[in-house]
Amino acid sequence: MSSNMIMLKSSDGASFEIEEAAARKSKIIANMIEVECVDEDKAIPLQNVTGNILALVIEYCNKHIVDDDDDVATEEASEEEEEAKKKKVDDWEAEFMNSMSLETMFELLLAANYLNIKSLIDLVCQTIANNIKDKTPEEVRKIFSIENDFTPEEEEEIRKENAWAFG
Amino acid sequence: MSLKKIVREFREKKSNYCYRNKAIGRRGRRSHIAPEASSVSSSSLSNEDHQSIWVDLPPELLLDIIHRIESGQTTWPARRDVVACASVCKSWREMTKEVAKVPELSGLLTFPNSLKQPGPRDAPIQCFIQRERATGIYRLYLGLSPALSGDKSKLLLSAKRVRRATGAEFVVSLLENDFSRSSSNCIGKLRSNFLGTKFTVYGNQPPLFNRKLPPSMQVSPWVSPSSSSYNIASILYELNVLRTRGPRRMQCIMNNIPVSSIQEGGKVHSPTEFINKENKKKKIKPLMDFCSGNLDEESVVEEPLILKNKSPRWHEQLQCWCLNFKGRVTVASVKNFQLVAAAAEEGKNVNIPEEEQERVILQFGKIGKDIFTMDYRYPISAFQAFAICLSSFDTKPVCE
Repeated sequence: MSSNMIMLKSSDGASFEIEEAAARKSKIIANMIEVECVDEDKAIPLQNVTGNILALVIEYCNKHIVDDDDDVATEEASEEEEEAKKKKVDDWEAEFMNSMSLETMFELLLAANYLNIKSLIDLVCQTIANNIKDKTPEEVRKIFSIENDFTPEEEEEIRKENAWAFG
Repeated sequence: MSLKKIVREFREKKSNYCYRNKAIGRRGRRSHIAPEASSVSSSSLSNEDHQSIWVDLPPELLLDIIHRIESGQTTWPARRDVVACASVCKSWREMTKEVAKVPELSGLLTFPNSLKQPGPRDAPIQCFIQRERATGIYRLYLGLSPALSGDKSKLLLSAKRVRRATGAEFVVSLLENDFSRSSSNCIGKLRSNFLGTKFTVYGNQPPLFNRKLPPSMQVSPWVSPSSSSYNIASILYELNVLRTRGPRRMQCIMNNIPVSSIQEGGKVHSPTEFINKENKKKKIKPLMDFCSGNLDEESVVEEPLILKNKSPRWHEQLQCWCLNFKGRVTVASVKNFQLVAAAAEEGKNVNIPEEEQERVILQFGKIGKDIFTMDYRYPISAFQAFAICLSSFDTKPVCE
């Protein structure tokens, strides 16, 4: 396992040092490393990610790179241990997402999408989906500040659907 | 998605996105909550202060989120979350309707509209009917039985029996207690003749293929302000003139299901929206491929599907007629039945595969006092199945 360090630079000019293995969580960065367009002493500029969001992304990647290493190292780990470890990761992820506002979640999702980190996209999408569950359409609109753009005819149809579904 | 494409897309979004970030920073997080928009056009409100960052969410990510909700909430009442998603705004609605597949493909009922779409092809949708003798109200629930499904059972349709001089009539409604014929919640009705041997099912959807109707089956005028009514099925009970003991025999002529629907590669043209005429004329392009039959262009004259009883066997030991209800019917009753597609009638060229003739399309039977199960599958819908079952509740002394 290489302990090469890579520099990432956010859109607002903040620089972050990250292990190459962790950075490879991002398919985009992994790709850049693959085709050798990463200069040893030059930071990779990420124009679409602000410093505070990039910090979160790096926190996530670092956490998960450690877990991935463990998986390789302890092949003989018992099922119980495996489960305990998985629970630890789940708890960490829950805590990680819990501390976030919806706006941060949104920006993190865009960043994960841009950097192509599949597991992080999944995590954020699932958290947002959980936020929508058990809500009425009005509540969902309020949470996400989404405008109701239905025509009166559509509105009538939707009112009927909701009367049936929530009745 | 290629790297280049992603980068390009983000460049395009960049200016917008960066601007928003600053805006959030300045005002503090979560401070800008838009007022609940009224149904009247609120475009005047959509200045920077009211626009949400979520509008900029790339469609594939919104699709991912809605997909997670849809696949996580497959039972009622949790399934209402999917209906809620389809009620947020236009783009959410479009995506939700795409994600929530029709019952034929998903085996799930999501929108009231799915009650008029054909059931799944393989495993039937399992429902039960509760009868309230005092009020003459019949309720159709999604679920195995009141005991097994409990709070998870979903009220699908209600019907109220009305006595008329010429016979009985059932009004079928989407809601628990709205049986007003002028209501848009009233989606159809069932009317019997005087003897209770012939029933006609009326719905607010026009027959979806052309055929010559014999005079006896032509649409009788039943006009309500919200919906025109069409004869969508006729149910005929065989008279038992000799009054011998034996099971009832019935025949259901499904006027808007062509017999070709159960032939190989066949499909049912079914509605995607509760169509009113304006919508139909606009020719809204449906998202699902299965309903894109060009009704106006081709006028194929086709035979309707006819359903008949699966013949019971006479059980020597038990001295009774028996059908295998696979555990879904527990009480012997003259009302119990299984319907299958009727094979070729004389003089008509109707070619139904043998295994299709064996497959039960609708099964109805008693499991307790005033509780009955109803399991239906493709090509009939929940509404059609319910109407056929309701006809069985009407006493028919001449048929037994």
